[in-house]
Amino acid sequence: MSEFTRRLPVYLLLDVSGSMAGDPIEAVKHGVRALISELRGDPQALETAYLSVITFNSAARQVVPLTELMMFREPQLSAGGATAFGAALRLLSECIRSEVRRSTETQKGDWKPLVFILTDGAPTDEWREAAAELKSTHPANIIACAAGANADTKILKEITDCVLFMNNLSAGDLSQFFAWVSSSVKMSSKSLDAKPGANIELPPPPQGFVIVP
Amino acid sequence: MSRIAEATLADGRKIPYVITDNPPRGGMKYTYFAPDRSYVVQFYNDPGKADSNMTERLKAIIGRYNPTLPESEGGALGTDKKLAEYFSERFCWPTDLVVAPEIGLVSPAYPKSFFFDEHASKFLDLKGKDKKSNWFTSGNRRFLNRSELGDFRSMMQMSLLLARSIRRLHQAGLAHSDLSNNNVLIDPKSGNCVVIDIDSLVVPGLFPPEVAGTRGYIAPEVLATMELDKNDPRRMIPSSVTDLHALAVLIYEYLFLRHPLMGPKIFSAESAEKDDLLGLGEMALFIEDPNDTSNRPASLKNTIKDVGPILEELFLRAFSYGLHDPPLRPSAMEWERGLVRTWDMLHRCANAECEHKWFVLYDVSNPVCPFCGTKIAEKNVVRFELYSEVRGHRGEWKKYSEMDIVNNTPLFKWHMQSNVFADEKADDTMQAYACCHNGEWFLINKHASGMLSPQGNPVPAGQAIRISDGTVFRASSSERGTLIKVRII
Repeated sequence: MSEFTRRLPVYLLLDVSGSMAGDPIEAVKHGVRALISELRGDPQALETAYLSVITFNSAARQVVPLTELMMFREPQLSAGGATAFGAALRLLSECIRSEVRRSTETQKGDWKPLVFILTDGAPTDEWREAAAELKSTHPANIIACAAGANADTKILKEITDCVLFMNNLSAGDLSQFFAWVSSSVKMSSKSLDAKPGANIELPPPPQGFVIVP
Repeated sequence: MSRIAEATLADGRKIPYVITDNPPRGGMKYTYFAPDRSYVVQFYNDPGKADSNMTERLKAIIGRYNPTLPESEGGALGTDKKLAEYFSERFCWPTDLVVAPEIGLVSPAYPKSFFFDEHASKFLDLKGKDKKSNWFTSGNRRFLNRSELGDFRSMMQMSLLLARSIRRLHQAGLAHSDLSNNNVLIDPKSGNCVVIDIDSLVVPGLFPPEVAGTRGYIAPEVLATMELDKNDPRRMIPSSVTDLHALAVLIYEYLFLRHPLMGPKIFSAESAEKDDLLGLGEMALFIEDPNDTSNRPASLKNTIKDVGPILEELFLRAFSYGLHDPPLRPSAMEWERGLVRTWDMLHRCANAECEHKWFVLYDVSNPVCPFCGTKIAEKNVVRFELYSEVRGHRGEWKKYSEMDIVNNTPLFKWHMQSNVFADEKADDTMQAYACCHNGEWFLINKHASGMLSPQGNPVPAGQAIRISDGTVFRASSSERGTLIKVRII
């Protein structure tokens, strides 16, 4: 039945640096939980979407490898430390290289991965090279969300054209962000790219979020 | 967080709805519910698309093309109260145009049976989720409780009802244009289905909607030409002909629980997206194509041969000869008729554990269930061959259908008269039924008039004919009355 079902790999890159401590990290945990439950309720997402979580503070870590939704276990998240954004980007590239099935003459490849980046601060490590590589090789459709006044949208623009900005790190805004991620994954799992390589279609961002031009 | 808002309808009425965060959102619209959830109010993701062309189209859909509203109340021509009721169960048809706060529409909420309840799954919390068909036709089946899955007969019933609904649309010149697993909700438990998202209909003479379509259901010619300029005459846009591709895909999925085009063949090594675009578009190839087996999965347990010659031929036309030659695709009416005829050959599997419970008994020489391999429980296969008199040739009869007969099989008007068709208008009073008593077969007349015995004597209601292999009699002596030939094999 599902022998020839392509996977839609989804990577969440979550900032768990010190500035996310307290309410924001609780809201992120809640958001991940809500995301899983939403996606499990959508038959297409359930069939195609695979999810991985990469976190970054003083170092980057893949806390959940690419996993099918039914097997997904919520990671233990806690906030503290610096913002090793560059390391997270390098890890993302590595994970995509090793986990995402490529299309070949003998293998049906996965869909182009969807990556959602959530960060509230500026990188504390070297990130330019990794960002430039992602932008030029375009191994995934990346959506970056800058959360709160301290996040630097210019840096995110170096990685992807699709950058969102949310004003604050309130629980309400973060939960809206994760709900929007789930709508985006659902929409991508249903629609086929009009033209291979063209921009993917995403639902309009939630109220209060700004698309950074 | 939610709050009550008010929508103003085209006729000035105001109705309440509940605004929620992150409302359910499809490719085109998002949905809010009424406070009592009896209707939904939907708005467009891109309100800019709601121009005067679209409102004209929506008005036509809600009014003069509406088969769920009697003609006397402004609905479609020829629709009486009974037909309107019938199609109200088949379509979730919009009832009103919303003009403020922005253009939108009001539709009835789906009946309860199209939402999962708390007993649907042991693994997932599905309560309140709508029954999109790919819960049932994909690997997701394994997460559902057995009681949700229906059986082959209920899947066939839904195929028939869907074909009928689409035939009704096409008969009015309408095209759905975005028929897909998301826009048909199914309830295999009861064998019902409902067509939703009616607002994207293509209405004759009005500007067509811009529909992206849904992966897996877009006709190959639409995918293959979607990059051409809008005004290029070679560019194919959604129409009733492309609906017929989607309809055939859905019927195939209901009956075989797999997609007809998604097989192992690699169409492009460049990317998944390119491979998919070719494999569902320009180079699409039926997984059961009789001449080209390069897309055939290694394990195909059941095939189109197992659903009888009528449906086999229709599937071949849809996915083999007609896949890239749209005029060859079977019409919705052909599907409806083919499914009705095949319905008469359904036989209950003798194996109580059989997952599909019913099968099409077409091969009388080898009466086994193709799903589990169990032989039928009955000693013999009993067939009624239905013949109609060739017009203008008195006494010349042509076989037009066949029925599998078991104890208590009912016969309806469409079995007694070759000019009566089993559609939404048909009288479904049982006319007669077959009965096996002490090893002998009888046909008992309940309500039929004009039934004749093999000797040509009238058989009034309440009386029976004894039948055996080779018996020939008139089910009805009227103008287009059927002649029945009995075979006991």
